[in-house]
Amino acid sequence: MILLAKAALTVGGTLVLAGAYTMREGVIRIDVDEYRAGGSHVHMWVPAAAVPMVLHFVPTEHLRHGSEQARQAMPILRAIVKELKKYPDTEFVEVDDHDEHVRIRTQGARLQIDVDAPDQKVHILCPLSTIEDVTIQLEEHGPAA
Amino acid sequence: MHDRYKILFNRTALIATTALLLSPLGTLAQATAAPASSIQSSSERATTSVSKDRWLHVRVISSDSKGESVRVNVPLELAEKVLPAIHQDRIHDGKVKIDNAHVNDVDLRALVDAIRTTKDGEFVTVQSNDCDVRVAKQSNHLIVHVLDKQNSKKSEVEVKVPMKVIDALFSAGKDELDLVAALHALSTQGDTELVSVKDHENTVRVWLDSKNVTD
Repeated sequence: MILLAKAALTVGGTLVLAGAYTMREGVIRIDVDEYRAGGSHVHMWVPAAAVPMVLHFVPTEHLRHGSEQARQAMPILRAIVKELKKYPDTEFVEVDDHDEHVRIRTQGARLQIDVDAPDQKVHILCPLSTIEDVTIQLEEHGPAA
Repeated sequence: MHDRYKILFNRTALIATTALLLSPLGTLAQATAAPASSIQSSSERATTSVSKDRWLHVRVISSDSKGESVRVNVPLELAEKVLPAIHQDRIHDGKVKIDNAHVNDVDLRALVDAIRTTKDGEFVTVQSNDCDVRVAKQSNHLIVHVLDKQNSKKSEVEVKVPMKVIDALFSAGKDELDLVAALHALSTQGDTELVSVKDHENTVRVWLDSKNVTD
C-alpha cells in the first residue's frame, strides 16, 4: 500500500510539474473549418512547449528544407515576433467586408489570427515565444548554419 | 496504533495525489475560460489606453453597399525595428533604392533642399475645370492638395508631410530613400494627419497619434 502511494505521489508530482510547465508555455489553438464538400475541419490544441521539443526529433534534412524555403522570411518574422511581445492586447489589422472578417491581434503574449468567411473559418492562437523558438531552430538549421 | 498511522498516511498520500492530478485540469479550465473575458477586458483597455508610443494608423472605409472597412494600426517602433530585417528587391537595411529613370532625371535631393531652405508659400497652384492642384510649404510641412473635378463625383487628395520626415527620407546615399530614418523622424512629430483621400467610393486616412486603436 505504501509503495503504491509513493508511486502515485511520484507520478502525480511529475504530471503536475509537466502540466504546470505546459500551462506556463501556453497552448497553440488551431481551428479550421471549410464549408464545402470534402472541406477540412481541423481543431487542434497543442501544448506550445511540445513544439520546440518535437522539432528536435524532425530529421535534419526536413528542417533544412523548411529553413531554405523560409530563409528570407525568417529574420523578418523573428523581428516582428520580438516586437509584438511589447504590444500585448493590441489590434493590428482588422478588415471587415459585409460577410468576411479578418483580424490580426495580440492577446497577451499570443498572436491571434481570425478569418471568418462564408466558405471557411480559420482561428489561430499561438504563443509568440513558440513562433520565436521555431524561427530560431529553423534559422539554426539554415544553409549558413 | 501503528496500523492506524499507516492507513492515515496512505489515505493522505492518495488524496494528495488525486488533488495534484486534478489541479492542472483546473488550470486548463481557467485557461480555456480566460480568452472570452480577456477579449472583453483587453478591448476595454485598448479603447482607453494612451501610451507614449507613436502609432501609424491606416483606415479605409468604403461607402458602397458592401461597407468594406480596413483598419491597420502599426507602432512606429515596430516598423523601425522590422524594416532593417527586410532584404528583398530594392529594400535593404531599411533603405529603398530608387532608380534615376523613374524620377525623369529630376534631382530629388536638390529639389528637397530647395524646398527646405525656401520660406513658407505656395509652389504650385493649378486651377482648371478638371482639377485643382496645390503644392505648398506651410509651418514646416509640405502640403499637396489635389481636387479632381473630372467626374461628376469629385475626389480629393490631401497629403501633409513634415519637412523633417522628408529630410530624413533623403538623408541616405544617392538614389536611396531611408525609410527607417523617415519613420524615426515621424515618431518625433505630434499627432498629425498625413494622408486623406475622399472620393465617392472610399475614404482613406493615414494619420499618426499615440493611441493604439483607431477612432
